Amino acid sequence: MLRYAFRLHRWGMIGYGVVLFAGVYAQAAAYSQVAGTTVASRAAFAHAMGLTESQLSFFLPLPYRIDTLAGYVQWRAYGWLSVALMIWAIAAAAGAVRGNEDRQLVDYWLSAGVSRLRLVVSRLAAFALAALVVVVAGGLGALIGAASSAPLDLGRLAGQSLALWVLAVAFFALCCLIAQFTASTRGAQAAGAAVLVVLYLLDVLARTQTSFDGLSWVSPFRWYDATNVLGPGGHLSGPGLLLCAAVILVAGGLAALAFRRRDLRGPLFGRPAAEVRSRGRKPSPLLSWPLARLLYRQRWILAGWTLGIAVMAVLMVSIAPGSIDSLINLPGMRALLTHGQGGDPYRAFIASYWFGLAPLLLAALAVHLVSTWSADDTEGILGSELSTPRHRWAVVLERGLLAVVGIAVAVAVGSLLAAVTAAGIGHTLDPAGVLRASWLLVPFALTFAAVGAAGGAFWPRAVVGVLGVVAFFSFLVWQLAPLMKWPSSIANLSVFQLYGSPLLSGVFWNGLWAMLAIVLAGFGLAAIQMQRREVDQ
Amino acid sequence: MTSAVRISGLTKDYGAGRGLFDLDLHVPEGEIFGYLGPNGAGKTTTIRMLMGLAHPTRGSASIFGADCWSEAVEVKRQVGYVPGEPPQFGGLRGRQIIAYLGAMAGGVDQGRVKQLSERLQLDLSRRYREYSSGNKKKLMLVLAFMHRPRLLILDEPTAGLDPLNQQEFSAMVREARQQGVTVFLSSHVLSEVEHICDQVGIIRAGRLVNVSSLEDLHEIRMHRVEVEFAGEVPVEAIRRAEGVDDVSAENHRVRCIVRGSFEPLMGAIAGAHVVNLTSHEPSLEEAFLAYYAGAPAEEATRC
Repeated sequence: MLRYAFRLHRWGMIGYGVVLFAGVYAQAAAYSQVAGTTVASRAAFAHAMGLTESQLSFFLPLPYRIDTLAGYVQWRAYGWLSVALMIWAIAAAAGAVRGNEDRQLVDYWLSAGVSRLRLVVSRLAAFALAALVVVVAGGLGALIGAASSAPLDLGRLAGQSLALWVLAVAFFALCCLIAQFTASTRGAQAAGAAVLVVLYLLDVLARTQTSFDGLSWVSPFRWYDATNVLGPGGHLSGPGLLLCAAVILVAGGLAALAFRRRDLRGPLFGRPAAEVRSRGRKPSPLLSWPLARLLYRQRWILAGWTLGIAVMAVLMVSIAPGSIDSLINLPGMRALLTHGQGGDPYRAFIASYWFGLAPLLLAALAVHLVSTWSADDTEGILGSELSTPRHRWAVVLERGLLAVVGIAVAVAVGSLLAAVTAAGIGHTLDPAGVLRASWLLVPFALTFAAVGAAGGAFWPRAVVGVLGVVAFFSFLVWQLAPLMKWPSSIANLSVFQLYGSPLLSGVFWNGLWAMLAIVLAGFGLAAIQMQRREVDQ
Repeated sequence: MTSAVRISGLTKDYGAGRGLFDLDLHVPEGEIFGYLGPNGAGKTTTIRMLMGLAHPTRGSASIFGADCWSEAVEVKRQVGYVPGEPPQFGGLRGRQIIAYLGAMAGGVDQGRVKQLSERLQLDLSRRYREYSSGNKKKLMLVLAFMHRPRLLILDEPTAGLDPLNQQEFSAMVREARQQGVTVFLSSHVLSEVEHICDQVGIIRAGRLVNVSSLEDLHEIRMHRVEVEFAGEVPVEAIRRAEGVDDVSAENHRVRCIVRGSFEPLMGAIAGAHVVNLTSHEPSLEEAFLAYYAGAPAEEATRC
């Protein structure tokens, strides 16, 4: 049972293992470029970052000894990785509890004589093992990234990894408990995400406002933040570890109790009210119209991404002034920030922060859309659609149009809010530049959708993982190449180079033509392959 | 009579001897054709090629004269389809799925949907993932029947249905036939098709081994029978009875196989004090193997 449960986590484990390894490695390797190589420059960097801590506290814990490589890795890498890993914990718990019930795997396990308690314990243990592999991969990234400059203390790194691991398992147990109260995988994911946001906000608020200190101790993120063992002189928080361990035991135990009391595929208490309300309700007329029916089916995905992108746009732009005021005084930073911007560091900061992150978010949205198309292919929905008198190319056309509309709406909302937020803090952006940087995001994200549509016609299951890895590593190369002074031959390997930096330096026309060519070729190949391929296989 | 389905030399070779080979078949318009075979024989592969979901390696298939692959859209205007494996529509509700797929098929006749769902006792307000496997099958049946197609292609349509709904389904198929609809129905259960089909094709290991009328099916059909007697056992009379084979006697029990009619057996045991008689129909594969006594598929084809 444990082996099988572990196997169900393998793709998440591999994906997050790669992300943690690359993410921690990148931060460790880039430290000298960011903070300089002398004691004085690193002290100045630490001082400047200290001034921005309230703005950055939305994303990162308060900095501790970031004048050292170990302190920087702990702050910059292990700080945000806690949130990234918790997103996996939510998805994994929803899949373990609700997803496996929807797929009727749990029916088989229970009918094979596996007790409900054993099932819960096995799933917890399997995730703990998978999370251990991921955390070790992150630790390896830190060791390798730091090896050339200042090797890290292995014991301290193990302590930091332990804190992250226990936090991930605690969150998984908590989400397993939450999932007992919901009736669907999506409901479990939404409820888990809501709890994560609340607990994270409690921690974030306490980072800068002492009035939240007492309340924030209910948040496991706070317990994790209490550990700063990687930095010199830091310590491993015993109470934090014990509290996480207590959550694992209590939430895991309550999840097992709740699981014993409820029906499979049912929530712990009653039926959802929506079921009662839905009786007699007519289906949405949108389901009858081409494109609208696909938009209707994907409405929650598109709404979720649009909301997420909007929130990130507001956050990124709103931290601009404080960050710039601190960074501008660092040696070399003024030149870096104002390079090619006509001397306006605010535009440069927003360009590098928001329009530096937005392509990654939109690429992720495109990959998510590709994953829904792959799911339609492999779950028999495409077969059902093609059992109707429908041209196969129309399926590809409709998917392409869905991607255009979904991405365009997310871009429009994100950019509009970025511009409004910038104006709100007194730094009006150049409207032409924002428009340029925004509309170019559409063909950029569509390149991922087009490649996914074409690849999905051949390998519907593999294409999502491959695209995700390509997007992530392309982003890393795009971000790190200027910092690490990598040659252009390596920098040009990144797909993100096609987007360029249109807010600052205009449209990169060669990149635009290349993106349009990829979009046309990708969807064209997908349409041709759709005409020829077999489905439901 | 024109052909609703015409299949010529249809082959789908998956390698290692798996697939469908050199299938020749024609189903006249207005007939109910039962496509019988054990699991893995190639029934679903045939149907997937008829529906234009899979390429033939060679050969061709047409429906009402239109090629199943190159004129797939035209074909599907005339076809209602129940897949063997229900798709996974997740959280969509039954009526949403009908609106979604119905619009693709040219619109939904709400009255017809209501009539079919009531007849099959299907609650369309529930989410698909909450449906039992039987209810999922019912939804597939509603989707297949709701457009009043000229041809119904049904891949194991009664799998998961309870006996009452199986009867209802049989009635729906008969009514469709009365309205001139052709039905291509696959199954691995002999008794399921014999009551409603005009003709039956039997497929085994990827090859069509027999196409016969309903009457000829009785040659294949058999029952395993066990008779328990209170007194003397008329074992010799049973052995002499026509259509009774493989007779074994133990204590006061006789076990045997009965092919075709039960009358010879009933005649043989008449007068004896029978305290119990049980009969069950073996699986199609078992019946098939017993009928052809393990002959290879190529040999069986010649029968």
